[in-house]
Amino acid sequence: MNQPIIDLEGVCRSYERGNEVLQVLDHLDLEMQRGTFYALMGPSGSGKTTLLNLIGGLDRPDTGRLAVCGEELQDLSSSELARWRADNVGFVFQGFNLLPVLTALENVEMPLSLTPLSRSRRRAQAELALELVGLKDRMQHRPRELSGGQEQRVAIARAIATDPALILADEPTGDLDRASADQVLELLQKLNDELEKTILMVTHDPRAADHASAIVHLDKGRLGSIETTTRGAMQAAQPRS
Amino acid sequence: MQVRMVWRNLLAHKLRTFLTFGAIVLAVFLLCFLRAAVRTLEGGVEAASSNRLMVQSAVSLFQDLPLAYENKMRAVPGVDWICKWQWFGGVYRERSNFFAQFGIDPETFLRSYRGVDMVDGTYEEFAQTKTGCLIGKGLAASYGFGVGDDIPLIGTIFTKADGSEWRFTVKAIYESTTPVIDNNTMFFHFDVLKDAVESGAARGPKGVGVYMLRLDDGASPESVMADVDTLFENGPQRVQTTTEAEFNRQFVTMLGGVPKLLGAIGIAVLFAIFFAVLNTMLMAARERTRSNGILKAMGFTDGYVFRSLLVESIVLALVGGVVGVILVKLVEAPVSQSIGRAIGGFRVETSTMVIGMLLALGIGLAAGIVPAWLARRIEPVDAFRSDA
Repeated sequence: MNQPIIDLEGVCRSYERGNEVLQVLDHLDLEMQRGTFYALMGPSGSGKTTLLNLIGGLDRPDTGRLAVCGEELQDLSSSELARWRADNVGFVFQGFNLLPVLTALENVEMPLSLTPLSRSRRRAQAELALELVGLKDRMQHRPRELSGGQEQRVAIARAIATDPALILADEPTGDLDRASADQVLELLQKLNDELEKTILMVTHDPRAADHASAIVHLDKGRLGSIETTTRGAMQAAQPRS
Repeated sequence: MQVRMVWRNLLAHKLRTFLTFGAIVLAVFLLCFLRAAVRTLEGGVEAASSNRLMVQSAVSLFQDLPLAYENKMRAVPGVDWICKWQWFGGVYRERSNFFAQFGIDPETFLRSYRGVDMVDGTYEEFAQTKTGCLIGKGLAASYGFGVGDDIPLIGTIFTKADGSEWRFTVKAIYESTTPVIDNNTMFFHFDVLKDAVESGAARGPKGVGVYMLRLDDGASPESVMADVDTLFENGPQRVQTTTEAEFNRQFVTMLGGVPKLLGAIGIAVLFAIFFAVLNTMLMAARERTRSNGILKAMGFTDGYVFRSLLVESIVLALVGGVVGVILVKLVEAPVSQSIGRAIGGFRVETSTMVIGMLLALGIGLAAGIVPAWLARRIEPVDAFRSDA
């Protein structure tokens, strides 16, 4: 079996709320395989977003081991974590989180400025990413000139611009209408199918989760179960060539 | 990409940026203007030469000294030559047209000063023509005077017995690069006054306002000052001999606390603008909390976020500083023309412009560093929770 892309052992994370200590993740053990599309589900407060932030190197565990894309994240300094994020992870957020002062193309080009690519090469790669999400004709538009669905597709283009192995999506369809949500989910599915990106998507929506290959259930900071979806079963029956 | 981000962020709130920019322009302009004014007042003191001594009445500057003192002082060891200076205090046609006029000795005046050059006419022509006058190029430009023009002056201290005007013909126009001699002054022959008063053609003081003593090379100013003061210790009129610097300083002293007041105003302006820019940058940092979180999530370092805000503050302040300095340089000539006739030539020195730019840079740095530091410290997960 291949080495897992995400490997958590005994991860704990708690927050202080006044005098109270809130244990959000409690000795969590979890392995996730490369090239798989995971949906992360669970009731509110179960620790989904906290787990996503830890896996994305935006937060640090109190204790435990957290290996992602071959790196032990708990051992990295703040600047090393930043570098690691730039190389390995693309984020898609519920609120789109595009930089409002930049055009769609410039937003997608932004993470590429951390790479050694030339300016023309960066521009070409950003255009390619926008073409992939079907927004080539909206490249010069600012975020406020785009619909919610288009903004989220720009955010996905930005997440894949540097060709990271892992895409982390925190309720990417939460602020979208059904049609836009379906477009975004199909796009994520396509990234998994065609580009073999590992995707971890937090969602409350079972219909959205059906687009994944597996559903990870969290409960009170612990792993509940990992369930294979119909799509996952079909993928298993027809392995990629 | 960072430059583009800084630029776009500055333009994201055009009105706020413009108002802050305007405040910086105004502050740098005011600071440079005030410093130039103070430097103008003090300029004569700094540029004064140690080989020129000034002899005035020990009673008051407004008390004239006897004409006979000239020959006695010429005999004092260390004195090379003497130039008499007499304040005329006339007005050109009407009272509002005031500029400085002095009666001087043409034989010794020009060679006493370095950096005074003729730009039209010749000094010799002026020296040979008793009713001739020598005017600064600033004065010539203000009133459109040229060589050959007659300048009628109405005397206020020296008045003609028949009530007529004094008339002087422009024989040369000079340009001075030494602050000791201003470009808005008129000089004429001292003997014109002396002869008119002695003959009864004019009424006015029968003496000399100030004697300027040019010392021999190597002569000790202290020794000459002591000798001259001692020479007239028993009258008829006691004198006070000072270095040119000390003599010029008394005019600055006459203004009392004006230079200090101007300095205090400058500091107050500086602080007011600092707080205005600080406020702008704090607002910018707060509004951009989420954007900074996004940048950090993408892999941009804390240092990148810190630099972005700091550079934004510095760019805003520096551009404002450049415009402020350009503006003060643009008003230099007109201001010099207007106030220069009353007090020495207003000049915006390079050092003043450099100080203006450094202050702008300082404001940008000081006002940007706290917001930049706050932006640097915030964690991406906290940034996403913020409203901004």
